[in-house]
Amino acid sequence: MLQNFSYQAPETLKDLYALLKKSNGKATILAGGTDLLVNMHNNWISPESLIDIKKIPDLKGITFNPKTGLSIGATTVCIDLINNKDVKKHYPLLAEAAHNIGSPQLRNRATIAGNLCTASPCADMGCSLLALGASVELGSADGVRVIPLKDFFTGPKKTQIKKHEVLLRIIVPVEMAGAKFGMRKLKRIKGHDIAVASVAMARTAKVMRIGVGSAAPTPVVTADLAASTTLEKAVAAAEKVICPIDDVRAGAEYRRFMVKEFVGQIYPELF
Amino acid sequence: MKITLTVNGKKYQRDASETKNLLHFLREDLGLTGTKEGCGAGECGACTVIMNGKTVNSCLILAVEADGTDIKTIEGEAKNGKLSKLQVAFKKNHAVQCGFCTPGMIMSTRALLEANPKPTVEQIKQAIEGNFCRCTGYQQIIEAVQDASGQLKKKEGLKRA
Ligand code: FES
Ligand code: FES
Repeated sequence: MLQNFSYQAPETLKDLYALLKKSNGKATILAGGTDLLVNMHNNWISPESLIDIKKIPDLKGITFNPKTGLSIGATTVCIDLINNKDVKKHYPLLAEAAHNIGSPQLRNRATIAGNLCTASPCADMGCSLLALGASVELGSADGVRVIPLKDFFTGPKKTQIKKHEVLLRIIVPVEMAGAKFGMRKLKRIKGHDIAVASVAMARTAKVMRIGVGSAAPTPVVTADLAASTTLEKAVAAAEKVICPIDDVRAGAEYRRFMVKEFVGQIYPELF
Repeated sequence: MKITLTVNGKKYQRDASETKNLLHFLREDLGLTGTKEGCGAGECGACTVIMNGKTVNSCLILAVEADGTDIKTIEGEAKNGKLSKLQVAFKKNHAVQCGFCTPGMIMSTRALLEANPKPTVEQIKQAIEGNFCRCTGYQQIIEAVQDASGQLKKKEGLKRA
């Protein structure tokens, strides 16, 4: 038995917005639940009410549009991303990143949007979506706004989402379709573990970006680098955006070293 | 909240507490105690069941979220008192010691075999990545799955029952 809370599962966005407004920040959104229910089980949080968004058709599905790019609905789970034809074809980096999350049981349930909303410094999807220049669409009764993912994270477990807002979908720009890419994730054990440091890089004919996880209070990304950026400059750009800490998993110096090492390993894969 | 779900082919309608997870609902409300609780927090996989064809940690799902779903648990493996081929392979290959992880292991490997009848060792390892076993050291479990899929080569030196 978990703590006491009420449970609602609205079937339309309109109903969801109304519930969020009424709850005035006391409600928590439930999608995959793989993070939320763990936190509740451990009594780290005790929300008054849960709003399950899985019944809302508008939040489902992955679509690719050759003009606007990829749209990942808020209730899309990792395994859907991994198996999606368009993702495999145009954004294989995302399929690889999703495959690196948790265990099969978690990948069958955890949502991509939830991985971003928990805003853990190591948020696995964070660095690859950052490298691809993704944005997120947030909605509420007051309207819809789109913000670049790089501005979305504001601190450990903190994001730009306001209390009456919900993440509707993640948008990956079409310019990044077919980008060359590479990623590395350092874990203490193979399989189900939180990253000590992770790096995802993407490069098109115009731009190169490096997303880094577990090496700053939030997942971070370099500025848009020129596609022809040298390895030395790429390493320096990554170093500039990170500020790792010492914790139970690794020391700051080790993290810094591994980020640089990973950039070096991935760099040749981008050409 | 009233929920309707199918478990091992049988339809159930129950009034589920909103604060109860699927694991406790299966064990306490439906009396299906084969599914185990290890950590209650998505780490160990002892609570693994198959929901709409996919393995999930039943400790991380509310019973009310399972409304309308189709679930398979360890109780659905044996038919008419006869163990399934997979269960027999676990028994024969010493893949069960204390047995606590076994219901979850069987569900994870059942889902694997349904999607992929001849998995490689690497694929078997990936399928049980989310299932901890503190007894066997995993090797026997891998062998059991190879055996169940007709891929176990006879071992030299080691006589097996
Ligand atoms: S009891 Fe569910 S994963 Fe451990
Ligand atoms: S047999 Fe004891 S935990 Fe696996």
